[in-house]
Amino acid sequence: MSRIFSKYSEQINGYIFILPAFLIISLFGIFPVFFGMYMSLHKWKVFKGRFLGFENYQKILGDISSFWIFILGLLIMIASYWVWSEYKDKMKNSFYCFVVSSFILLISLYLINISWTNMMEKGDADFLNSLIYIFYYSFFAITTEVGLGLLIAFALYQKLKGKQFFQMILLFPYITPAVMGGAVFFIIFGKAENSILNEFIGLFGYDPQLWLFDKRKITEIMFGIKIEGFFAGPSLALLTSILYGVWSYTGYYAIILLAGLSIIPSDLYEAAKAEGATRWQTFIKITIPLLMPIIFFLLLTGFINSFQAFNHIMVMKTSSAGETMDVVTIEIFDHFWDRVKFGYAAAEGVVLFIILNVLAISQYVIFRKRLNYD
Amino acid sequence: MISFQKKELIIPYIILFIVMFLSVYPLLYMISVSLMTSGEASNQYLLPKVPRFENYIEVWSSNNFQQYTLNSIIISGLIVIGVLCTSIPAAYAFAKIQFPFRDVIFYSLLLSLMIPEIIALLPHLLIIRGNIFPLPFGPSWMNSLQGLTVPFFGNVFIIFLLRQYIKKIPNELWDAARMDGASHFYFLRKVVIPMSMPIIVTVSLFAFILAWNSFAWPLLILTKEDWFPVTVSIYSFIREAGTQYNLLMAASLISIFPVLLLYFFTQRLFLQSISNFGLKQ
Repeated sequence: MSRIFSKYSEQINGYIFILPAFLIISLFGIFPVFFGMYMSLHKWKVFKGRFLGFENYQKILGDISSFWIFILGLLIMIASYWVWSEYKDKMKNSFYCFVVSSFILLISLYLINISWTNMMEKGDADFLNSLIYIFYYSFFAITTEVGLGLLIAFALYQKLKGKQFFQMILLFPYITPAVMGGAVFFIIFGKAENSILNEFIGLFGYDPQLWLFDKRKITEIMFGIKIEGFFAGPSLALLTSILYGVWSYTGYYAIILLAGLSIIPSDLYEAAKAEGATRWQTFIKITIPLLMPIIFFLLLTGFINSFQAFNHIMVMKTSSAGETMDVVTIEIFDHFWDRVKFGYAAAEGVVLFIILNVLAISQYVIFRKRLNYD
Repeated sequence: MISFQKKELIIPYIILFIVMFLSVYPLLYMISVSLMTSGEASNQYLLPKVPRFENYIEVWSSNNFQQYTLNSIIISGLIVIGVLCTSIPAAYAFAKIQFPFRDVIFYSLLLSLMIPEIIALLPHLLIIRGNIFPLPFGPSWMNSLQGLTVPFFGNVFIIFLLRQYIKKIPNELWDAARMDGASHFYFLRKVVIPMSMPIIVTVSLFAFILAWNSFAWPLLILTKEDWFPVTVSIYSFIREAGTQYNLLMAASLISIFPVLLLYFFTQRLFLQSISNFGLKQ
């Protein structure tokens, strides 16, 4: 017995070492997904009810086949990128490649459009809208965060005094707990006409706004045009919560981008200088191309992560903003906390999970070649 | 070069000062409001006429706020200890011990990072209520410390960070230790842990902040106030009608304070690990 033990002690040790973590992670990390799928097939209000099959999904999506067409559309969209990136250098004339991939892109947009309209007609409009809202949130938040982060990273890259101090301050918002941060934003972006923010924008001649209490779409406020549907943009209330996201994550991305800037080998710059390149040329020809993979990567992972934004939106939500701040996580939480529809909420969760996985596939396709250049 | 000349350095300074101001402004405003009278706060003054430090005493001594803060400290502390206890051995095993299916297990655990928290929340709730299988320590973990902490004892992300660090420790050290008859456990305790202290500190801070921030989960499983953490108490404070903003801000400030303090002492390590992780991800 003891001989067997000593022969396999290495393996046994390994398994014992990972056992506690493995148990907890599989129980609380992996098992819930499968159980969630199981729940979504049942009528489940606090306790398990009868088996429903795909009825919950039917109610959410209106028509399950349109959902698959929608997913197919997303996948084809990824495929169009793949065609473009794979063949643009291999073919002699990259114009044909461009035509083909944009044709594929058009097909995908068409599929997405018809399937989405179809779902909107028959399905749970609240849930589908919440997907649009989270798309707004993620898209606007992440592009602003990375864009501003890039600017800050360039500033920090210079030879400045007190760099460490600046970096420390920059991460303050990232550290601040979302509930407490949301509480301040809740006050700063309040509806009082004489609030600091409203007086500040008054200096530039703008009217006071209701911020978190305003459910009008941003296009309506800015340009005075009322449009329905996707292109109306987020409501002012949702935009304010996007501002919170920007406040809290910009510093974080700036730090990562700064690290990205500083691993660009300096001999490249020296070579460029020796060749007589201007600073602008160096920036366009060396810095941006070398930084591009990181920027792209941050945009994509950040986009996926933002889909899970919850805490601060929950805190900043006001009843006058109506459903325009009910992003998908809030919608799901609402369904099983307030309305105790567990099975339904689980089905919504599974739909979100599928969409996130498609996004993850796109991440894999785009980054299948490694990012490193060392 | 994309570096600026001496004279032009004014531009990055201006950018950084603006950004710095915007970063700390909400915190400064929080301080300012927390020192106002409730009238000044609801009229959104910029600064209080006379700073009222009594607000802090009022918040601190009212509405069980001390209890909530203590709860948060206990919950977060326990989670940090729990996470370290499970993650350090696991990270060590994944980095240094050879056993069958090691990498398969590791990568399938990593995949769980992809799962949105909101999906897991529901089944978690059923597990915690003891609906799925019987739980140790009582039929249900609702409204209990176990329920608040145990689900967070395993963290793939933290295992990943630790593993990356432990991998860099040279294998020769282990070979030498084994010659002297050391066990894995002994080697882990005497060599690996002391050598990976920087990452352990960072990871603890990370886990602490994560735990301190946790909001949806406690909101879900707590129906009584006994174990309310500060986040949930502040949330219910906001949702109350006629909230006094000055007290709300004083409460928020008190509950941010521990996190800021910890961050202040470990910021260098924290910065390093963020910039490393972001690139290696």
